[in-house]
Amino acid sequence: MSKKIISLILTIVMFATILVGCASSNSTSTTGSTSQVESDDVSESETEDKTYKVAMILDSSISDGGWGAACYNAMITAAEKCGFETQYTDNLTTADFAPTMRSYADMGFDLIFAPGNQYTDAVKEVAADYPNVYFALLNGTVETDNIVSLLPDAQQIGYMAGALAGLMSKTNSIGFIGGMELDTTKIKLESYEKAAKAVNSNIQVYSAYAGSFSDSAKGKEIADSMVTMNDVDVMFGDASAVDSGAREALSNYENRYDIGQPSDLLAIQESDVVIGSVVTDNAAMLEICMEDVKKGTYGNKTIYGDLSNGAISVGTFSDDVPEDIKEKYLEIVEQIKEGTFIEE
Amino acid sequence: MKNMLIKIFVPVISVLCSFIIGAILITIIGGNPMEAYTYLFKGAFCTPANIGETVIKAVPLIFTGLAATFAYKCGVFNLGGEGQFVMGAVVSIWISTTLKGITGIPLIIISLTLGTIAGGIWGAIPGILKITRGLNEIIVSIMLNYVAILFMGYLYTGPLREGNVPQTASVPVKLGRIFSQSRVHYGIVIALILTLIIYYFLFYTSKGFKLRAVGLNQIASQFNGLPVKKFMLFSFIISGAIAGLGGSVELHGTQFRLMSGFGQGYGFDGVAIALIGQLNPIGTVLVAYLFAILRTGATTMQVGSGMPTSVIDIIQALVIVFAVAGSAFINLPKIRQFFSNVFSKPRKEPL
Amino acid sequence: METVFDIIFIQELLLSTVRMATPILIVALAELYSERAGLVNIGLDGIMTFGALSGFLICYITGNPYLGILAGAISGILINMIYAFCTIHLGAEQIVYGMAINIFAPALASFIYKIYFGISSTLVQATLMKTVPIPILNKIPVLGVVFFNHTPIVYIAYLLVPLTYVFFSKTKLGLNYKAIGEFPKAAESMGINVMLNKYIACIICGILAGIGGAYLTTAYISTYSDGVVAGRGFIALSAVIFGRWMPGGVLLAALLFGFTDALQLRLQVMSSGTPYQLLAMIPYLSTLFVLAFFGIKKAGPKANGKPYFREER
Repeated sequence: MSKKIISLILTIVMFATILVGCASSNSTSTTGSTSQVESDDVSESETEDKTYKVAMILDSSISDGGWGAACYNAMITAAEKCGFETQYTDNLTTADFAPTMRSYADMGFDLIFAPGNQYTDAVKEVAADYPNVYFALLNGTVETDNIVSLLPDAQQIGYMAGALAGLMSKTNSIGFIGGMELDTTKIKLESYEKAAKAVNSNIQVYSAYAGSFSDSAKGKEIADSMVTMNDVDVMFGDASAVDSGAREALSNYENRYDIGQPSDLLAIQESDVVIGSVVTDNAAMLEICMEDVKKGTYGNKTIYGDLSNGAISVGTFSDDVPEDIKEKYLEIVEQIKEGTFIEE
Repeated sequence: MKNMLIKIFVPVISVLCSFIIGAILITIIGGNPMEAYTYLFKGAFCTPANIGETVIKAVPLIFTGLAATFAYKCGVFNLGGEGQFVMGAVVSIWISTTLKGITGIPLIIISLTLGTIAGGIWGAIPGILKITRGLNEIIVSIMLNYVAILFMGYLYTGPLREGNVPQTASVPVKLGRIFSQSRVHYGIVIALILTLIIYYFLFYTSKGFKLRAVGLNQIASQFNGLPVKKFMLFSFIISGAIAGLGGSVELHGTQFRLMSGFGQGYGFDGVAIALIGQLNPIGTVLVAYLFAILRTGATTMQVGSGMPTSVIDIIQALVIVFAVAGSAFINLPKIRQFFSNVFSKPRKEPL
Repeated sequence: METVFDIIFIQELLLSTVRMATPILIVALAELYSERAGLVNIGLDGIMTFGALSGFLICYITGNPYLGILAGAISGILINMIYAFCTIHLGAEQIVYGMAINIFAPALASFIYKIYFGISSTLVQATLMKTVPIPILNKIPVLGVVFFNHTPIVYIAYLLVPLTYVFFSKTKLGLNYKAIGEFPKAAESMGINVMLNKYIACIICGILAGIGGAYLTTAYISTYSDGVVAGRGFIALSAVIFGRWMPGGVLLAALLFGFTDALQLRLQVMSSGTPYQLLAMIPYLSTLFVLAFFGIKKAGPKANGKPYFREER
């Protein structure tokens, strides 16, 4: 009987601890956020001293050596220039997009960066409830008072990769690996094919989806099958870590090349496979967002990223690209920039 | 009553243990554990909106947990909760976006019903293959998970795609919200009513008793003239239907449309929840709620403290490890003997 | 489409099959050893992921892929000891611990990778294990390339199949081992140390599953990224059941998965109009059809998944 009472008491104590934890959380949270409250007060008087904060959400990993890493580094670069504090949450499931953004909004973050159009719904939902928090939606098509879309021109990216692949291919077969059937991926594939055919009418384009952005082994198998079956000699991909698997397969063969994106791969790491990169500079676009946040002019616009404003650019070439092809390619890029390369 | 106390007491101790280890981990990586846990509790409890988020998160987990419970009670292992959950949602989105002329509550009822049926059919496949061809239900249900997810992928990128994003249109009618200040929807009511029905069925009806008998000892049940195969198929269909209804409710209540990652992981979460909840429907609800607390709290904790997301996952896994180890510990024969000496009336645990 | 019946096509398809089946085979054998001792371990995906990370890390630091494989094996044991202690000593629910490992190990791996390598715009590359062609045999047309031109891990994986068969069916040790999964109480009364053997089973399972993961990042590709295992653990789990808990059957199951997966990738490349999700279903659907056609009357080890208490009477 006494044991029963003891365990009862202990249980109550445990629950009490939890409740106290909750209660004390209120008090500590107020102390914890006083600095922020103060900074809010300050921000009313002298705006320059406020520390702005930006957060990024991601459904894959930020260390995937592809899309996630590129977006994260873009945020870091932009934040350093504009003096923002940064934070991120990665490996999120679909159901957690909105709750995570709500948490950031509750924590007093000024800008939330959602890099992909799969976040559109969640951003819209949260943005409606937090009119004072700003949202930057990469590859998005939404414009409201507190949502700005960043839209790198997927068509130009596809054209640039396709033109280079078409010029470089000796076997007249080129390949493309997609991660998931995202809209931007489909546009890239489509324009990749168009551009390659425009520079070399005999070209054949082979494509496959890995159904994943992380299964590098599958990327290797796809590239391998493309090379052995279809004699593909230049590849381009839109599948993050899967692309690095593809590059490994290509490095086992002579004269097989890959075109990188979205970072300038050859500037970071030497490679015998990568011949060049189509570089997307999301940082430049994010910088515009951050400046807008500071100026208080945020909202109702789409920031386009293309060759003309430098958000898309030509990366470093490898020695495998002959001078004449390089020249020809840069001419084509100029045409793409002018919009005269392929008339719609 | 005494056993009830132990049942509550041990999980609490276990959770505390995992928090202590978690605290050590946080300290090692240079964080402040007190601050981190403060965020955790704040995120899960301290505003109506947060409590609402927790409840919303618990709803799909309750459904898949109940689905697993129901199957396990009859001695069959349904690892296909995710596939059934997804198929329920798939049929619901298809019906509610294509059916013309019906709107409002009737449409929701039709959609939920058909989602339930779809889940039941998807759940029946491993059941039928088990009783007719002797196939192991674990492998069939896992394979069907992959098929269901790929099929959903085909639908939202192909026939049911809306606009320029690979996702379906949103459902025309949503489940209503119970309170104005939080997103809690009537799905939780459906889940709780279903829990009571299942509890009543399993423990207060003769059919439920027979089903549990089959689960405890198939051979003995067969000797006693129970139609073992029929019960197995029945429990598979009901289990699938529960998961299917869950998918449908999740679709109409919180997510509104299908896109990449819908329903990810809910099936296996459900299995773990059912087992931690000792295969009791009410226990399942409590554990599902605990999981939801951990997840919503963890989101706030990660955001607030800025620790890598993976640390939060590690702490969540530790909670499971300790909670289950704790309850397994008191169920050890030696320990049970100890308790039965302490308390006068020992109780036999069904395995 | 004229390439379909090309001999090169078939050779490449089979080569790809062997490569893709290898990790599944190793990990399925891991599960086989575990289940034969009555321990269902669904945490294979988690153990593999951690093996993949530690294998890659050691391979990167030392430049030696074989040390990477060794590291994968050791870390596999360590991770699996959580499972071993809780399920063997505490008699806790095995499925739950498998689940817990599936949450815990990938998170830990991702954490360590981020701490060690930070975030760069390309994946860090380590040394890739070189293929070691077997002399003479690799000169056989088609078959030589398909079977005898791989990394040593692949040969070991396939050699393990007959070895496991001999162990389980021809040696006393193996028969004792199997008895634990079938009738633990009878085994105990025959003087077999059930607890010890279950721990040994967990160690073997950890070693093989860890190697399976490390194979991915040291011999298959030379990078690590979160999610690199991509559900192969669950496929391996299915392969054990599919293979009726027999080494030969497990091999066939792994090869079937490898073959159908290799085939669907090639079909995708050849027919770009077809929705890829439908083709990606092929491995899973074909498994179901093969199973439904042949049926499995034989159930697994009788005491599979059940806790064992020495004191219980």
